Amino acid sequence: MASALQLVGIRKSFDGALALDGASFESQAGEVHALLGENGAGKSSLMNVAAGLYAPDAGSISIAGAPIALSGPAAARQHGIGMVHQHFKLVKPFTVAENVLLANPQPHFASGIRNIRAAIEKQVGELKFSVDPDRRIDTMTVAEQQQVEIVKVLVGGVKILILDEPTAVLTDAEAVGLLEIVQRLARSGTAVVLVTHKLQDVKRFADAVTIMRGGKTVATLDPRRSSAEELTELTVGRTLPLPERTPHQGGPTKLNVGALCYTRGDGRTMLNNTSFHVRAGEIYGIAGVSGNGQAELAEALIGAIEPTSGEIWLDGRGDISRANQAKRREAAIASIPADRYAYALAGSLPISDNLAVAQIRGGRYGGVIKLDRAAMRRDASAAVRDYDVQGVRSINQKASLLSGGNAQKLVIAREFSREPEVVVAHSPSRGLDVRACAAVHQRLIAAREQGAAIVLISEDLDEVLSLSDRIGVMSRGAIVGEFECPADRQAIGRAMVDHG
Amino acid sequence: MIPAAPSAFRGFGRLTLDVRQDLPAWKQAAFVGLSLVFGLAISVAILAAAGIPPLTLGNELAGVLTAESLRGVLVQAAPLILVGLGASLAFRIGFWNLGIEGQMIFGGIFAAAISIYDVGPQATRLLLMGSAAALGGALWVLLVLFLKNRFRVNEIIATLLLNYVAMYFLFHLLYGAWQDAKTAFPQSSPFRPFERLRDIGYGINSGLLIAIAGVLAAGWLIHLSRIGFYTRFISANPRMAKIVGVPVQTATIWIIAASGACSGLAGFVNVASQEGRLTQSFSNGYVFSGVLIAFLSRNDPIVIAVVGFLIAVLFIAGQTLQVFYQIPFTMVQMIEAIIVMAVASSEFMIRHRIRWLR
Repeated sequence: MASALQLVGIRKSFDGALALDGASFESQAGEVHALLGENGAGKSSLMNVAAGLYAPDAGSISIAGAPIALSGPAAARQHGIGMVHQHFKLVKPFTVAENVLLANPQPHFASGIRNIRAAIEKQVGELKFSVDPDRRIDTMTVAEQQQVEIVKVLVGGVKILILDEPTAVLTDAEAVGLLEIVQRLARSGTAVVLVTHKLQDVKRFADAVTIMRGGKTVATLDPRRSSAEELTELTVGRTLPLPERTPHQGGPTKLNVGALCYTRGDGRTMLNNTSFHVRAGEIYGIAGVSGNGQAELAEALIGAIEPTSGEIWLDGRGDISRANQAKRREAAIASIPADRYAYALAGSLPISDNLAVAQIRGGRYGGVIKLDRAAMRRDASAAVRDYDVQGVRSINQKASLLSGGNAQKLVIAREFSREPEVVVAHSPSRGLDVRACAAVHQRLIAAREQGAAIVLISEDLDEVLSLSDRIGVMSRGAIVGEFECPADRQAIGRAMVDHG
Repeated sequence: MIPAAPSAFRGFGRLTLDVRQDLPAWKQAAFVGLSLVFGLAISVAILAAAGIPPLTLGNELAGVLTAESLRGVLVQAAPLILVGLGASLAFRIGFWNLGIEGQMIFGGIFAAAISIYDVGPQATRLLLMGSAAALGGALWVLLVLFLKNRFRVNEIIATLLLNYVAMYFLFHLLYGAWQDAKTAFPQSSPFRPFERLRDIGYGINSGLLIAIAGVLAAGWLIHLSRIGFYTRFISANPRMAKIVGVPVQTATIWIIAASGACSGLAGFVNVASQEGRLTQSFSNGYVFSGVLIAFLSRNDPIVIAVVGFLIAVLFIAGQTLQVFYQIPFTMVQMIEAIIVMAVASSEFMIRHRIRWLR
């Protein structure tokens, strides 16, 4: 029997940047097929091609063995391909039935909405969802909205269902519930494509897995017959070399985070009494399944958000959780955030400006009246050279033109331009190649040798294990276990998932 | 290879839209220039439909450059340049200051108050009036910044609506306490000679000096000063700016105050040079012109001086057309609007690339 969906040699570039480089993918009816890869590996781009959102530059798409051309999402829908996006496409003031109607147009509104309501109830009954067709979207939780999205595609008679990172927005229990339903859907004959970067979901729910890296599909295998290490290695490429270092000298406590709480705008509690301390000359690793408050912890530490309660105490500075940025800068906190372009760089501005900005206030580049551009250029050229930032044609070029790894080097060059007392690094090697990754790790270790307190938050357990002196495991917004290094990988893994 | 487009569109291909990463400056300028030409072409067509043949139009525009008209142009250019600076400073940090008229009104009121209550010696009177005007404009816009920070009031709506509050407050004064007792018109008593901006020779009004000083000050603020450096980060990535230690709040207050001060000075220039007293309508239409000038000059103070001058030419030519061809003043405003839209749409072309895929 021919594959339900087959993509061969898909290429797609965005204004010169190659996102898909001859990627191929094949999924069968009746199976959950995971598409695994790091952020930026091209998973979403490939599936957007399948869903008719992107026109590929080259390559072919066939459904049940027959080659097709997709002029847009509507055409994909006609071929039975439906996609649930990571960011929902729902009209918030409309009811469930109206949203489903919008996606599945009917000739007449009154009779159409009746038909739609009947179809929704049928689907909801089969899937055991709790969706009321007459509720407004803006009164529903994220998990319920996701159910609406799924019902919306299924009502259209979809045979190939693509879910883009469906569990990213869900709690663990919700995620398991959803994936079980997805598995049932597959058993009843739908071809399900599960785009994800979560290894656990793949191991537990997928029948097949295709791994993407750098816009290419590198392997398709059976997740039940392959080890997590094997999958990880295929996802990230070569495993990271372990950096060398001296044993830890227990210094005095430098940073103490006490009972930190943070409730997000939508009412979800992201930090729930997070407490830990970091000594001078120590790397404190924070491990955990992504979405358990790590991002918020990092944001609170670097001052992007103000915690609801609790304190961030810094030796000699006091509580800085609500301090203004001037005071934070004075405290020499180096921040290396996960999302470089959101938190650390202004992509549209020159490299030299991005390097200088943190030290303008301190007066390094002239007074209030006139900035010393020459000094900025001089320092920028030196930093680019010292930190081996590649791809710099001119220090006046926009920072956004640098690749991920080089942008990260730029951030590190700036943050380490003064000797930092505290370093907050959140997934500092995300999206970096092996060489760049090793360079980042060396910098962290060098800062440790100089006596800085380093908080390393990472979803990559290997990174945490290889660098940390102590490891705290974060789950549901709290540190639920602490391990001295060298720590037992299995024990940490259990703490990450068992809690609660 | 991918099969051709679906049968219904076969042969046509399809239109795709890409986001551009980067575009050289000269190409950006070319897009703006083309849009400008396009906008002007539409304007000429509309004027032709209103009964002014393009050739006559050309003659009228050339006529503006005679010595006598040029004097009028330069008088008109001063407030235009100042409101252009006022709009562009705020736009640079993404604060949509559409309250230029309100700020002009308060600039005018503060300046007039100095005259009416006879504050300070004669020698420094003009200086005092100018400072008061700048202060008045700044306070009126800082009120909006306060509302925005404290209550999250959208500044577009707040600045726009406060124009009406300012206008009715002005009416309240002109129909009440400050009404000219001699004429009983709704306007203040005329300023004394030492309270007026006079010509400095060659038929150039000293208001233009204020505008040029404003251009130089704004050029320094944006291109050389520390705050100017901060503004680029505040507009490019405010969240990142805060994290890396840019004093976002302080820089915002200074820039917004400077924006209001420029508008306030424009009000001062208008009451102290053209009108010589506080009138009902000295600020009419300047929001529009300010936005237009800021847009056309891409918020660069030096370019604003040039664009402000060109818009003044348009204004004076418009006045001539009004007198000799009976077209309404709204026609001039419409041309301004068309040009704003044309330039605004060039932004889309600068950010995107449209391609035919076959």
